Amino acid sequence: MALITENTRKEVTDIVYNFFADECEVDIKDLHADTNIIKDIDGDSLMFLELIEIFKKKYTLEIELKTIGKYAVKHPVQTIGQLIDMQMLIIEHENKLLELDQ
Amino acid sequence: MSQKKLAFIFPPFASDYPEDPFSNLTGFDEHFRKFLSRAAEFADPELIRFDYSKNPFLDDELKTQYIAYIQACSLISWFREKGVVPGYSAGYSMGIYAALYQSEVISFLDGLVLIRQAYKEIRKVIPENGFGMCVIIGFNRDDIEELTRKENLDLQIAIQNSVCSFSISGRSEDLLKFTESAQKEGALNTRILNVSIPYHSIYLKDLGAGFSEFIAQMQFRGPKMPIVSLVDQEILLEEDLLKQEVVRNLFTPLNWYQTQLYLQELGVNRFIECGSGKGLVKNARFIEGDAVSMNANSFSSTLNN
Repeated sequence: MALITENTRKEVTDIVYNFFADECEVDIKDLHADTNIIKDIDGDSLMFLELIEIFKKKYTLEIELKTIGKYAVKHPVQTIGQLIDMQMLIIEHENKLLELDQ
Repeated sequence: MSQKKLAFIFPPFASDYPEDPFSNLTGFDEHFRKFLSRAAEFADPELIRFDYSKNPFLDDELKTQYIAYIQACSLISWFREKGVVPGYSAGYSMGIYAALYQSEVISFLDGLVLIRQAYKEIRKVIPENGFGMCVIIGFNRDDIEELTRKENLDLQIAIQNSVCSFSISGRSEDLLKFTESAQKEGALNTRILNVSIPYHSIYLKDLGAGFSEFIAQMQFRGPKMPIVSLVDQEILLEEDLLKQEVVRNLFTPLNWYQTQLYLQELGVNRFIECGSGKGLVKNARFIEGDAVSMNANSFSSTLNN
């Protein structure tokens, strides 16, 4: 289980904001925590999957995609802020993510 | 540019269109209008009314295939004019006809004939309603097969797009059950496609003979550049093999993932999606290797620089 620091959150936030600015061809200054990924910047589920893969590699995470999917059913992600929150939980809890709901 | 390392990849049809999909391609519209006009004269007069926003024909499966093919052929023509000819070509699903045109196996009009005849043969065995396809992201092959068995669903994997992305064909009610159950079981995304034909599956097996007989009478030429089979990743160089490929492409599962990996093994380091969207480019992010993928509009910017 990875140790989360303030620096981790900043790293994750930077990666997520830069990723969406690049992929969705929007100015990073126009992105904020409440930005709706699908409605506001035309994002899609493949982008979500790509971010998961980026963080899996960066933090050497052991987590199955199905675990993330099951968690996302109960905790749907719509905004960039929600996505960062979920990503932090994934990094911290990896395959034990679903235990958070027990 | 080493064109041997370049591959053109062709999408089957669009589910929507960006506002101005070929904005960077100066003069492209002339190529497109020329091909569109010929297609309208030859295949369907309605095609001439095509417009990206006002009249995109997105609910007409045959017309969307025609349009994707016309766009692809127009792009091939535009790139040829710029001196860009790839070393390889591969067509995703119904993109096979554009790959044949790219390799000069068939003429533009013969491609239209093949699209129309395939559709006609399919409609003899598949009704307008009752079948379809869906896409699932976040499940691997075992996950899909396990869920299909568990729920006793009449479905088949039609295309492997990457390790965790698949297109599935089958009966509409089973596709619906599958997508609902898959979401509960942790699929990151599922989507029913706007098609009524279960492509690349056993449900189309019965049309094989009729379509084979039709194709046997057509003239195919030896390819000017290699075409890779999406069925078994063999390089197709002979006319007879190419004819067989066009037939079996309809009812045999395809593996786009392995095809892109194989093309990289052959030395391809750049894939250009010859269509209006970026579906194949986005999918390529989940395929291992260092090859760069971009769509035609983005690629044309690199030519100008």
